[in-house]
Amino acid sequence: MSPLEVVREIAPLARVAAEAKIGPYCVVGPQVTVGPGTVLTRRVTIVGRTTLGSGNVIEEGCVLGAVPQDLKYSGESTLLMIGHRNRFGPRVTVHIGTEAGGYLTRIGNDNVLRDGCHVAHDCYVEDRATLGRNVLLAGHVLVQTGAVLEDMAGAHHFTTIGRFAHVGPRTPIRRDVPPFTDYFSQDNERIPPAVRGIHRAGIKAAGLSAAEETELLRALRELFDDESALQTKIEQLENMGVEGEAAALCEFVRRSLGGVYGRYRELFRGQLPPEALQYLPPELLTAFRRSKS
Amino acid sequence: MPEISRHAIVESSAELADDVYVGPFAYIGPKVRLGAGCVIDVGATVTGQTTLGAKCHVFPMAVIGVAEDSQQEGRCALGQANRIREHVTLCGGVERPTILGDDNLVMIGCRVGPEAVVGSHCILSNYTQIDGGATIEDYVGTSAFTFVASGMMVGAYTYVVGFTGIDDHTPPYAMVQGFPFRVRGVNSEKLRRCGFGEEDIRALKDAFRQLFHETGAAVDTKTLKRLSAKANLNSHVRRLIEAVQHHGERRREP
Repeated sequence: MSPLEVVREIAPLARVAAEAKIGPYCVVGPQVTVGPGTVLTRRVTIVGRTTLGSGNVIEEGCVLGAVPQDLKYSGESTLLMIGHRNRFGPRVTVHIGTEAGGYLTRIGNDNVLRDGCHVAHDCYVEDRATLGRNVLLAGHVLVQTGAVLEDMAGAHHFTTIGRFAHVGPRTPIRRDVPPFTDYFSQDNERIPPAVRGIHRAGIKAAGLSAAEETELLRALRELFDDESALQTKIEQLENMGVEGEAAALCEFVRRSLGGVYGRYRELFRGQLPPEALQYLPPELLTAFRRSKS
Repeated sequence: MPEISRHAIVESSAELADDVYVGPFAYIGPKVRLGAGCVIDVGATVTGQTTLGAKCHVFPMAVIGVAEDSQQEGRCALGQANRIREHVTLCGGVERPTILGDDNLVMIGCRVGPEAVVGSHCILSNYTQIDGGATIEDYVGTSAFTFVASGMMVGAYTYVVGFTGIDDHTPPYAMVQGFPFRVRGVNSEKLRRCGFGEEDIRALKDAFRQLFHETGAAVDTKTLKRLSAKANLNSHVRRLIEAVQHHGERRREP
């Protein structure tokens, strides 16, 4: 079929790279940018102020950049930024940000989102993360590099899923998941969600040095063999002088403990999250500051 | 004139109000009536004997009014200002219409079965599955992956926690969780938002504490009798008692 026969609707103002492939029944809105090598297979809808980088593959029925489901959203012009080389399975939905949450939903590079995933407003998915089928991220969630969420896991708003953490299937994530841990619940929560082990495949994927790996493993065992008195144990570890990933783990757990119900990002309710400072275009940054002052 | 995309298919006998918008690749069936200000987004399907009240917004890829039996014609009746998000399925009822009240937010991937009745001001969170013939009363909130079994009723102002299976009637004003579900307490935050006084909330909390078994699995029959015999009961507590009596005492292993 030659491209001329394809029925699709691309707004004249949309910036679509010449090398991008846009299949039949796709709709691309006027404020959308699609980078080179990105493939929209069929029936993909992209609206809102959405930017797609290069080399992404977006499968059937995806809807990217629709307005948030947040009741506070009132038509403000916010962004969705998607990096490079991501794979979106069928029926993935990603929403633009809200004003109160920092204007921006961002998906980094090399992520895999399987069918039916939903990434809500103001979420940040870093790089190389895998979201299994029907994984739901509520608003303001941060998924750090390399995290794996299995099928039907659901994250509560303002949670953080740490670097290279692993969340089991059908697990409700109601508090932060520490990096490099295995977090799951079983049997309809009769075995409640908790840290239940070390995610060794994640440690391997992170490519740590032997010394760093030993230190991280020791810190993980120390903290999560028995999840009591975390605060004291962190202090003990830090007094012993941990470095690298182990120190980052201690910092992560300390932040979670200092948050609301074990969720560090709750502290950023109605403020700019730290990631927004990094990624937000300068004109929106000043707009946000002006609206708050 | 309604604004219809050149790529949309709107059957000629469909009744569209003047300021309706129909996006590309959407389909509007021959017996559909769309109220003023309705927006039917990209690729959405509205078919069967279906009416949408004013200002309903149907998001991309949602399907409304298709009967489960393809030989039959589905019926759906939606009130005003409903938001039907992406990939939602509202099945059309055959004997009775599937009903949605006003101002509901039905989030991504939800399914409302045939002949189900959803009240007004409900928020059905992502992937809530409501089976045929179930009843959802007003101001109900559900969280992700909630499942409501066929013919069951979720009482007004109840909040259903994520991953919960509703396999029986739930009382109103409650917070329920688990499968089989347990009553975990009063949905006091929602009640406050809906303008309930602290007096009412305290009375409800008190009643819940007495009425439900420690695990929240069963109703204490003696307390139920005692409370229902009481004169000058708080009107909300009265409603709770009547609902529980009406549903029958749930008898389950605690």
